[in-house]
Amino acid sequence: MGDGEVSRRIVRTVLVRLGTSLLVLWGAVTAAFVALHLTPGSVVDALIGSNTVTPQVRAQIIADYGLDRPLWRQYLAYLGRILHGDLGRSYQLHESVASALGSQLAPSLQLTLVSIGLALIVSTPLALFTARRRRWIRALSSGIELVGVSIPTFWAAILLLTVFSFRLGWFPAAGATGFGGLVLPAVAVAIPVTALLTQVTREGLERVLEEPFVLTARARGMSDAGVRTRHALRHAALPAVTFAGWLFGLMLGALVPVEQIFSRPGLGQLLLTAVGGKDLPIVMGVVLFTALVYVVVSSTLDVLYLVIDPRLRGAAR
Amino acid sequence: MLRARRPAGPALAAAAVLAAALALAGCGGTDAAGGTGSGTPVRGGTLVYAVNTEPVNLDPHASPQDVTGLFTRPALDSLVALDAKGGVHPWLATAWKISADQKSYTFTLRTGVKFSDGTPFDAAAVKTNLDHIVDPRTKSQLAAGFITPYTGTTVLDDHTVRVDFSRPHSPFLAALATAYFGIESPASLKKGPDYLARHVVGTGPFVIDAFTPHQGITYHRNPDYNWGPEGAAHTGPAYLDKLQIKTLTEDSVRLGALTSGQVDGIASVPPANVRQVKANPRLTILSREAPGGNYNYYPNTASGVFADLRVRQAFRAGIDFRTIVRKLYFGTFSPASSPIAPNTVGYDPATGNLGAYDPAQAARLLDEAGWTGRDAQGYRTKDGRRLVVRWSFAKAFAREQRDVLAVQVQAEAKKLGIDVRFEDGTFTELIARQVRGDYDLADFSWQRADGDALRNLFASASISTPRSFGQNSARYKDPQVDGWLNAALATTDLAQRSALYAKVQQKVLADGAVFPVYVFDYLLGANKRAHGIAWEPQAYPTFYDAWVTGK
Repeated sequence: MGDGEVSRRIVRTVLVRLGTSLLVLWGAVTAAFVALHLTPGSVVDALIGSNTVTPQVRAQIIADYGLDRPLWRQYLAYLGRILHGDLGRSYQLHESVASALGSQLAPSLQLTLVSIGLALIVSTPLALFTARRRRWIRALSSGIELVGVSIPTFWAAILLLTVFSFRLGWFPAAGATGFGGLVLPAVAVAIPVTALLTQVTREGLERVLEEPFVLTARARGMSDAGVRTRHALRHAALPAVTFAGWLFGLMLGALVPVEQIFSRPGLGQLLLTAVGGKDLPIVMGVVLFTALVYVVVSSTLDVLYLVIDPRLRGAAR
Repeated sequence: MLRARRPAGPALAAAAVLAAALALAGCGGTDAAGGTGSGTPVRGGTLVYAVNTEPVNLDPHASPQDVTGLFTRPALDSLVALDAKGGVHPWLATAWKISADQKSYTFTLRTGVKFSDGTPFDAAAVKTNLDHIVDPRTKSQLAAGFITPYTGTTVLDDHTVRVDFSRPHSPFLAALATAYFGIESPASLKKGPDYLARHVVGTGPFVIDAFTPHQGITYHRNPDYNWGPEGAAHTGPAYLDKLQIKTLTEDSVRLGALTSGQVDGIASVPPANVRQVKANPRLTILSREAPGGNYNYYPNTASGVFADLRVRQAFRAGIDFRTIVRKLYFGTFSPASSPIAPNTVGYDPATGNLGAYDPAQAARLLDEAGWTGRDAQGYRTKDGRRLVVRWSFAKAFAREQRDVLAVQVQAEAKKLGIDVRFEDGTFTELIARQVRGDYDLADFSWQRADGDALRNLFASASISTPRSFGQNSARYKDPQVDGWLNAALATTDLAQRSALYAKVQQKVLADGAVFPVYVFDYLLGANKRAHGIAWEPQAYPTFYDAWVTGK
């Protein structure tokens, strides 16, 4: 095929990708808007809560947030603002959605990255060591992984605190900044992630170790460790990377209880508070942001596949 | 109200329906020091206190949360201080006069007071504060509602102001003593709601360093402070160099932080853990009865099965609330007999003799009301319809094992042949039902250091409508009660007001408009190195007189 055709294909692929990404973002925002409005109770009642306010205050709240407009107009106005890059203002936090997201993003990002790092560092050697080993080693490892996946993050966090903070006093209980305050929350978030990653990587490894080229490598006199790390791991990484997009969602879910228990600022706390209080601009802002991250992560992964697996490079043409 | 987190309005802030968040409170000045231990106070050190919820908005003029009062009280003084008996004492105002028609209050202000930003405190500052509270742009969810007849403030000279009302409003001084009427620096009020939501500047014994949402707040001592409320244990600056309040939402985490010595005190010790804390030689429990509405159940008197007085009376008589409360809380909370707590101004001790457990009488009343049939499950029926009570309940926000309590009440009701069904929901859903009147039973507590709490609970004007929310969950409407409540507004004489409030309590109990459950105590767990923690009339701890000894 000619060069012209190739570039046209690439342009088309990028445009399709961009189009579906926009569709995903629009869908996420719309679903959040509808869901929040389907729950009973009006926004103004939720904002006022169980207080008795003067009629003037009620009127002021309605006027400030345009709550007297029909829903479809509130929806269109919101979409219009997003297109201009304006996420709106929180109903309750006395700041813009962008600044609320901005101030809570860093702590959550820090926690997420440290947890992922921790999960990779632990799960990779664990998978390498346990793949195609004696039965009892595998059974022990899967047992531990099953526990890791199954225990609620909430409970694991409390347990970690009880042992390492209240009993041993190695780490501050909660509300601490700095590295000491990051360890326990990161471990709590990393537990289920590590367990899942180990399982997926090991399964990938075991499949690869059955392949004929592994036999060839061994026949060349390559050591077992060399076969595992140089050849098999690279193949096994593909399913694990696919999994990373999904992992991101899992971690965001874990942030909610962990940030709450450890009194850490972050997106989880922001979202929890906003959903409870029908703070629509914040909820939609967080949803839009996470959808955006998801889109970026999955697009990046598609590129990564090409790097990891040369066979796909041909397929992309 | 629920002290839990309040939705959105916070949110988490936590809250609870009708309850919750709102706890209002009137906080006032300090009264006798509670606190741990004794000895000679020492200057210096830091006290760290952990609470279970945090303000969504730090400006007490706007926020309705009880925790906003707790967070800002160290930095804010009020014009007057309230003692536990309802007596009013000088603070930033040295004297006051009430006009003969009870509509005007003239205050003489203390001289030589300045805000921590250097602005002098004067008559104009008082006017700016009160006008700020009622300004619709402040969106006050609590304070403005306490002074609805407010017409304006006049500066008579630098240190004299007159506050006018369109009609007599006797709860004014008690409201003025709360942190929700704390006097903020006029210079900081000018910076608008967004600034105030994170920064509060006052004349108080402590100055706020930083309020960090989801973490807490830190303060340092105001070295110039020399204008504490009458009734405080000492004068001059606070003893502590620093004060820190941390937000630790989870009960087990807060408790663990206390037992491991990481904090000096915690709010809301779970009743189930009180004995554990008391057994620890390094720790102690300080408790303080909260005035205002007890934790009560309110039957919907306007529609449904409880519209029949006999069914309401049967529910109260046929369930042994006192025994259930005693067994569940091991004596930590006492059973209630009036809608308001014994230490509320205007409490009627005679209510203690009412509401005896009498299942035979309950059965007779239900027979009389026509619920004579029985269905296959043993529930009473009338015209083939089962006697069902729909209870609007927010399990997720239930604190102090109120959900366990509710299940025990449900089991007792079954013995009477009443089918109690929980209609669980979020805070917002419960509010929506409250507005529609779509429930048979509701439950909440409503703290406030004044008998006027009865007006919130039982005045016909406090019934929720789509246009305004009110705490009269019983949807109770009685011209006589409305008359007494209004008469109480027109007199500042405590004896007269108490007599009127006693009549209200007797009448609403006779009418079965409330099933009193338990009296809430603020349970504070403290390390014995912390001393001199005192209480506001609203039952929140204050730290002006507090001091710490070495670790």
